[in-house]
Amino acid sequence: MTATTPAADGRAPGTPGGPTGAAHYLGKPPSKAGDRTFLGLSTGAAWLILVILAGVAIFLIIKAAPAIAANWATSPQLNEPVANTPGFDSFWAYVGPLLFGTVWASFLALLFGAPVAIGIALFISHYAPRRIAGILGYLVDLLAAVPSVVFGLWGILVVRSFLGPLNDFLNEYLGWIPLFGGQVSAGGGTILAGAIVLAVMILPIVTSISREIFLQTPALHEEAALALGATKWEMIRLAVFPYARSGIISAILLGLGRALGETMAIAMIVSPKIIVSFRLLTDDNPGTIASNIANQFSGANDLQRDALIATGLLLFVVSFAVNFLARWIVSRTSVQSNGRAPRRARARREVTA
Amino acid sequence: MKLTKFGAIGAIGLAGALALVGCSSNSNTTPTSAATTEAPAAPTGLDAIDPTLKGTITAGGSSAQANAETAWTAAFTSVATGVTVNYDKSQGSGGGRSNFIAGAYDFAGSDAPLSADETTQAAATFPGGAVNLPIYLDGVSVAYNNADASSLNLSTATIAKIFSGKITDWSDPAIAADNGGKALPAKKITVVVRSDSSGTAQNFTNFLAAADPTDWTWPGSGTFPADITGTDAVKGGGAVHDEIAKVDGAIGYLDHSAVGDVKSATVNGVAPEADAVAAAFSDGFTIASNGVKGDLSGKFDYAKITADKSAYPIPLVSYAIIPLKFKSADQAKLTVAYLAFAASEDGQKAAASKASSVPLPQEILDEINATLATVE
Repeated sequence: MTATTPAADGRAPGTPGGPTGAAHYLGKPPSKAGDRTFLGLSTGAAWLILVILAGVAIFLIIKAAPAIAANWATSPQLNEPVANTPGFDSFWAYVGPLLFGTVWASFLALLFGAPVAIGIALFISHYAPRRIAGILGYLVDLLAAVPSVVFGLWGILVVRSFLGPLNDFLNEYLGWIPLFGGQVSAGGGTILAGAIVLAVMILPIVTSISREIFLQTPALHEEAALALGATKWEMIRLAVFPYARSGIISAILLGLGRALGETMAIAMIVSPKIIVSFRLLTDDNPGTIASNIANQFSGANDLQRDALIATGLLLFVVSFAVNFLARWIVSRTSVQSNGRAPRRARARREVTA
Repeated sequence: MKLTKFGAIGAIGLAGALALVGCSSNSNTTPTSAATTEAPAAPTGLDAIDPTLKGTITAGGSSAQANAETAWTAAFTSVATGVTVNYDKSQGSGGGRSNFIAGAYDFAGSDAPLSADETTQAAATFPGGAVNLPIYLDGVSVAYNNADASSLNLSTATIAKIFSGKITDWSDPAIAADNGGKALPAKKITVVVRSDSSGTAQNFTNFLAAADPTDWTWPGSGTFPADITGTDAVKGGGAVHDEIAKVDGAIGYLDHSAVGDVKSATVNGVAPEADAVAAAFSDGFTIASNGVKGDLSGKFDYAKITADKSAYPIPLVSYAIIPLKFKSADQAKLTVAYLAFAASEDGQKAAASKASSVPLPQEILDEINATLATVE
């Protein structure tokens, strides 16, 4: 068998590959039918993602073009009062406040969520006993499986009421700060409530990426810091954070990408207007692009739908840019870390445990 | 062993459920057959349905009439067992109209009739053009929650001022004047509106724009005017209901069928009861045809409605939009049979009991059936 395999060139169907040793794999790979099929399938899958992405982009551009080009002040279709497009001078006047709302809500979510996520990641990677770390990591990942409409319901039924007294307190005593000023919302549909729910929703992705990065810290760095007399916290500051800095940034950016596109939870919780406002506690909050599409699409006429798709195109561009930035930072990190020869978590745990 | 046990329990449960369904459709049919025996000349409603019909009706659009569609589908398919009706309410009125124009639907449900543009586009898809038939009637309630007010009456002008943000407190003299001069204790008014576009908002703002143009300077609009600030905007009628129920001092607009346990204000002294809404339709519904023969799209003449002191001034009507000439004669027969049932006394009663809508007056039902008779 082993002698005939090279002669048959491995092409004869039904010829078993057989354990012919490393030499067999070093040469020209055997191209049996199964191998070729799998190669074709996986290559096809890889190309398919590009085709889909390009298809989405082309669809968005073709549909968006008429609405971006239209004269918003005079277009009878855009000024038909069946969606919220009437009364704007141009597409940019319409999408501007929505883009602001999208970025503002996501920024607030990161502000609340990212420190907590990094804390959880650090606890899992460096503080928790191994068994608890495993369970906790699993639970955080499980958060990612909760549908956003459930988060929306949770926001409406629990978070909004829960924040009521806090809203009143902040408005009464800190109302002189513009952030907490204005007429406080009675129902609780504030951007603060939306951002807090959004913060919970981005926890899993930020936590799991940060955790992976923290675990990759070279054990030698940590041991060196400890050997120099550093406490555990000093060791984390001296060895873990500098090593993981760009990883944390990319984790946060990926969380931002998640927050930018979130639709249902925000649409259900936040009371939206098309305005630019930094106030956290009122009913007049800037709407987000995704929730605005969800709210307005059903009533809109053709050109108004195109306008909504155009806002979606802008969101697509922004999310793409954010993700691209995150991946670029990650790739830069991994090139650097190759030189440092990182050791895996197993090694670190053996040292510290 | 365990599995089969559970299977048996499940089967019993299923049989029980089926039996219950059977009961409910029976209870629907009994009064009908009793009613029609008195006038056997022209069978209408359930008795007119041909049980040998077969096929699938594909439709979608307005979520306002979705519960009524469910009631009609249940009753219709209990007789014509070979028929399936798929009504997709996720599309909304606008989505229903555009899918209809694209040729994907046998009929569309829509809170607004086809616009002039859409009528032209529909004529391109369907050579005979398309007609709007009002098949669903309800009232828009001004729902409120104020622990200090067990009942509330509001005039048109006061409603316009509250919803445009000119009146912000329950102690306002205008509210007192509407309620026999008795002022309510001071409390902030929270105006709850829909953040998504809806037929409810369309009909509510149509009313305000027509009945009080000095206080309400916006046109009738499917989306509550975005430049009115200070409103608590929530997504969907269900959320409006929940928000009003939760917030003391809240007021908002809701389909009367969705009011549930929340209180409704009387408008100019008239409560949103079925008779008052039907009276408003009879008084004020003015047919403004889109030019296609048999079209029954219309507008409410609010001056006529408010002149009638027994009519509730904010009715809501929703349309079924169908082509005059189907591509297939079988499909035409099927869709016409379904809509003829919806536009029958039985159909309207079924919707009233299951979806809390208001039965349409017989005159308009006759006109709808006259148009349906011309569909081929």
